[in-house]
Amino acid sequence: MNASQLIAPILNRNLIFVHGKGGVGKTVTSQAIALCLSAKNERTLWVTLEDPTLEIGKLKEVNPHLWHLNCDFTLAFEEYALMKIGVPRLTQLFLKNKLMRYLAKAAPGIHELVLLGKIWFERLHYSHVVVDMPSTGYGLALFQSAENFSKLFRTGPLHKDAESMIQSFKDPHVTGHVIVALPEETPLRESLELNDFLKKLFPENPAAFLANRLFPKVPQKESETESEAGNPALWSSPLALSMEDYVQKRYWLENHNMRLWRDADIHYGELTFIPPPVPSAITSHRNNPLNNIVSQLAEQLHAKAYL
Amino acid sequence: MKNESPTTGKPTHQTPTHTIDEAIANRRILITCGTGGVGKTTLSAAIAIRAALLGKRTVVVTIDPAKRLANSLGLMTLSDQATDLTPLIRKAYQNYKPAPKTSQSFGEITSPPEMGGTLAAIVPDTRRTFENFVRELAPSSDTAERVMQNPIFQIFAKEFSGTNEYMALERLLALYKQEAYDCIILDTPPSRNTLAFLNAPRLLAQFFDEKIIRWLILPANKWVSAGVKKTLGLLESLTGAGFMSQLFDFAAALFDVQVNFSKNLKKITTLLESPEVGFLMVTTPTPETAPEVNHFIETLHQHRFHFDGIALNRTVSYLKSNGTPHPGYEEAFSIMHALQIREQSVIDNLMRNPLPLCAKLPELARDVHSVEDLFHVAMALNTDHPSF
Repeated sequence: MNASQLIAPILNRNLIFVHGKGGVGKTVTSQAIALCLSAKNERTLWVTLEDPTLEIGKLKEVNPHLWHLNCDFTLAFEEYALMKIGVPRLTQLFLKNKLMRYLAKAAPGIHELVLLGKIWFERLHYSHVVVDMPSTGYGLALFQSAENFSKLFRTGPLHKDAESMIQSFKDPHVTGHVIVALPEETPLRESLELNDFLKKLFPENPAAFLANRLFPKVPQKESETESEAGNPALWSSPLALSMEDYVQKRYWLENHNMRLWRDADIHYGELTFIPPPVPSAITSHRNNPLNNIVSQLAEQLHAKAYL
Repeated sequence: MKNESPTTGKPTHQTPTHTIDEAIANRRILITCGTGGVGKTTLSAAIAIRAALLGKRTVVVTIDPAKRLANSLGLMTLSDQATDLTPLIRKAYQNYKPAPKTSQSFGEITSPPEMGGTLAAIVPDTRRTFENFVRELAPSSDTAERVMQNPIFQIFAKEFSGTNEYMALERLLALYKQEAYDCIILDTPPSRNTLAFLNAPRLLAQFFDEKIIRWLILPANKWVSAGVKKTLGLLESLTGAGFMSQLFDFAAALFDVQVNFSKNLKKITTLLESPEVGFLMVTTPTPETAPEVNHFIETLHQHRFHFDGIALNRTVSYLKSNGTPHPGYEEAFSIMHALQIREQSVIDNLMRNPLPLCAKLPELARDVHSVEDLFHVAMALNTDHPSF
């Protein structure tokens, strides 16, 4: 089975969580997945969680089929309280109460649970909701907190909601989990740990894997032997001697690092390195230079039949 | 504008240091901050090696769930107890050969300084530290057990964002008091933003809010207004009966621990504010670097902490190409050139503002898996780099 046959069904689900270590390109990848889905004229929501660089709380229309929401805890909490209590005046009284304000601020996991709950409710209004998850540790805490809360509240409506949420995330008909990593050792190792954790939480719902920012292959120099190419530990210095030496070694190193996924029998998708726009292009271009990278990545997803 | 933060107009730091060596000489504690994936752990270890070379009795403390430090030292494990790495470093020191000349120097020094100091590493078990912490704070072992048996506490110990960070600080305070080390490098836990670490004590202090806890443990029905009764009623109907009694229990237990916690927190804050502690920011050359750095310095300033500079990691400008690329190399070279242009604009931005760049480190061609490789990084930290 090739990678696209595994990945495409997962990227086409109702709820798509994009996981990975910080700095692997989750934001751009999740945005590209959402853009790709919206290009099929399906109502799509791209969700970021409290991204401090983006405007908070408001729903924004990106194109006629794509919206963006930068989820905010306070707004989502108020919305949820109103939904559960029903009466606006009573809800306000409840939210303004000192104890409630304390619990909302300090109770462990409440923050995570509310954000996840917001995503879970939004899924009903869209064909696809694509979530840019926080980096590994914190992202996992989101799911863990839902699990914890369903145990902590043994009865009552909160327990019921936490339980249904977990059921949806477990269900491969509803939710897809995508793990993104760079072809570097630490992100790859952490992605395997992340996968183990997700397998424990959602055993029937295996994740899809995307290797991001793969460097282009360069021709091999004749003087290099197979073993040297395959084993970075044999190189005389950790520094590269020239640009040529660097790009050659980078290709070898990436190939060597990807063994971590190959050995784990993972069929992964490959996204190639999109060079950063040069600064002159940023200033002359009135659009956000990121958009250019997102659309290039979306084209890759489409061309490789991942979506 | 000189020596002022571009965003606040306030002075950026009291005692500017320009190199890592100066920071090592001036401070007893160095705290490295930065987002995940920038090479914080590797750099912290390299700074620690440098401190040992400069004659300090050094310890590097890393909150390292991914065992990254052990991995980059080529070791199987490190633990909560100090592991002596001095023999390893001594051997690497004897075997050290400067890297072959690249087109640009990285301040590689031909004769390393004398190896006078020692180096140990600690990877704290934060869960155990937390339990010890509660045992220490609690007035009796009964109270300690009662806190730890509470289901809310158990989740709190595992999940509360800030627990890892705060426990790292507790460990730091303990090491500081011990006086077994004269240089302590703290590699902060990975987090989604650089500032999470700085805000951890404040977050935890909110949790231990005395007034609220006192209020929570008041006997039921006493001085409780109708509004509050309604709120509690609503909360109970949402969460189910069990949760509320656990919450009151937890609050009662916390109340006993609270007074000592506040005292400890004060000690930690005082230590962090003292000129014995310096903060370093580790980052990579991306467009987000300059705003992130500004924000970081501003926050340090608000906390009255001392800023010691930026270490820019994974730089590629040292890689030079000889004329036109060989066939098949064009695409890779165009990526490299774009990365170099971006890097230069990041450095220009940093230099335009008076932001102290204290180290510029090369992107390595392979991952660090041995003390020898780490030694190369430590040597590259001695910087008389042309761009400074």
